[in-house]
Amino acid sequence: MSDLAPFWLSVQMAGMATVLIVAAGVPIAWLLARREFPGKSLVAGLLVLPIVLPPTVLGYAMLQVIGRRAPIGYWLESSTGITLVFHWSGAVIAAAVAAFPLFLLPARGAFEAVDPALEDVARLLGRSEGSVFLAVTFPLAWRGLAAGMVLVFARSLGDFGTTLMVAGNIPGVTQTASLAIYDAIVLGNNSARAGRLTLLISAVSIGALWVVQRTLPAGRPVR
Amino acid sequence: MSLEKEGPVLDVGLSHRVHPGLALDVALSLGREVGVIFGPSGAGKTTLLRLIAGLARPDSGRIQLGPVTLFDSSRRIDRRLRERRVGMIFQDDRLFPHRNVAANIRFGLKGWPRAEAEARSAEVAALCGIEHLLDRSPGTLSGGERQRVGLARALAPRPRLLLCDEPVSALDLASRHAMIRRLKDVRRIEGIPMLYVTHSVDEAVAIGSRLFLLEGGRIVADGPPLDVLAASRRPGDIPIAFEGLRNVFPAQVASHAPEQNATTLRLNDGPELIVGHLDRPVGSTVLVEIRADDVLLARGPVEGLSARNQIPGNIERIVARGAEVEAVVQTANITWIVSLVAPAVTQLVLRPGTAVHLIVKARSCHVITSDEPPA
Repeated sequence: MSDLAPFWLSVQMAGMATVLIVAAGVPIAWLLARREFPGKSLVAGLLVLPIVLPPTVLGYAMLQVIGRRAPIGYWLESSTGITLVFHWSGAVIAAAVAAFPLFLLPARGAFEAVDPALEDVARLLGRSEGSVFLAVTFPLAWRGLAAGMVLVFARSLGDFGTTLMVAGNIPGVTQTASLAIYDAIVLGNNSARAGRLTLLISAVSIGALWVVQRTLPAGRPVR
Repeated sequence: MSLEKEGPVLDVGLSHRVHPGLALDVALSLGREVGVIFGPSGAGKTTLLRLIAGLARPDSGRIQLGPVTLFDSSRRIDRRLRERRVGMIFQDDRLFPHRNVAANIRFGLKGWPRAEAEARSAEVAALCGIEHLLDRSPGTLSGGERQRVGLARALAPRPRLLLCDEPVSALDLASRHAMIRRLKDVRRIEGIPMLYVTHSVDEAVAIGSRLFLLEGGRIVADGPPLDVLAASRRPGDIPIAFEGLRNVFPAQVASHAPEQNATTLRLNDGPELIVGHLDRPVGSTVLVEIRADDVLLARGPVEGLSARNQIPGNIERIVARGAEVEAVVQTANITWIVSLVAPAVTQLVLRPGTAVHLIVKARSCHVITSDEPPA
């Protein structure tokens, strides 16, 4: 049972991180795909940074923003009493930031692959911008969005470095499966526990990849 | 129909710089009729249509559709696409690939009462001959079927104007004719004014009640299609290259020889041309289209030839276009373009002033007539 606790924690956090990523990622990906604005390439570049930065660097940077003495973290704690660091919410945010580019890139590509001429046809047929998105853009892009969603879930499930930096390694609170595997080997020399957790995490991740494989190539030809 | 009494439905006056080499400067008005925007590639035809639809914004000017101002730069009016009530069909069908035919047709009927939307869908499906395709997905349809679905979808929400951007140019010949007949039916039954862009003389004459000749961004002539196309071929005019290099001449039916299955035309009051039998009374005006590479050149009259036409003329000039050479040949009242390969020019010693005979098979002459014989 104690093996399953960190696993379930991982699944819950990955799920929450995925929700955060999709909520922020869909509008941002759409903006990057469909609108021109000053500094667009700079923004696009910053948003994929987490994929190239070492997780520890990313975690350090996040501590400078949401740490208890950092501007946002201090303001949040003094006004609402919420502390993100060394708390599961911090782990969720850390995993979400680290995995964000893995959603943004395919999502932006999926929106860009939708022929803007089809959206214009929808407007000519009397549809509002919201209706164009729901009836044309989203249905034609959803395979790419779903693939990105599965990818970030799998990625968040295994997050290690960033989570460790921001949320620490507190059993039952922020100790996810990846952290528990590390502890089992380094502290407890408990390779059986490490093996069982590895199997669980791998199974879910490989399953997620299989879903992506099934979703993407079967996509209708985008015209 | 008293189109003139109703006044124009569409009134356009706009300026727009398309690219450094082309500026549109267009004024046109259209009644409840089919206006054809005709001209060579690169004249700005499609851009003009996109500006009227609202898919691009003119630099300045005004677009009035019935009582509604779609665009007016001086009053800062630029009506949104969804409020314009302008229908459009394109060279490609632009159907929504993720919706079946019925859902494509209903797409513009959002917000209509259900019963009304269903009745209207059924009506346009019948009008476009696609009732049997309603459950199909666009990917499974032929080119002609897809264009008909696109037409039904555009018509469904009762637009005030239908814009057609070369809607048949991607279709095979039989589907082209069928689609044009269909569009004429739509025009008659729905009474919707249309603007139809094409560079095909055939289509222009077949569908248009009015033709706007667009050249270099300006409308240089406007009137009944046959008249405009005939008038634009003044003596000395260089025939315009529309689809490929073609000679297009106005002609009158001069006589019939039914026993030889032949009709003689007089080209622009100049030379006679024998073509296949034509069911038009003597004196009718028609257009003749002859491809530049269907005309042969000979240095003198040739005997024992199967081609029925030998027309004497003089070479005006020779223009090299890559491996091809164009000879511009002057005959009485008519200027021809003849496509040759470069060695032929050397072998025949062709130069400006050389007397030649143009040899034209009757079967190479494509005669274009308006649908209804002139009264």
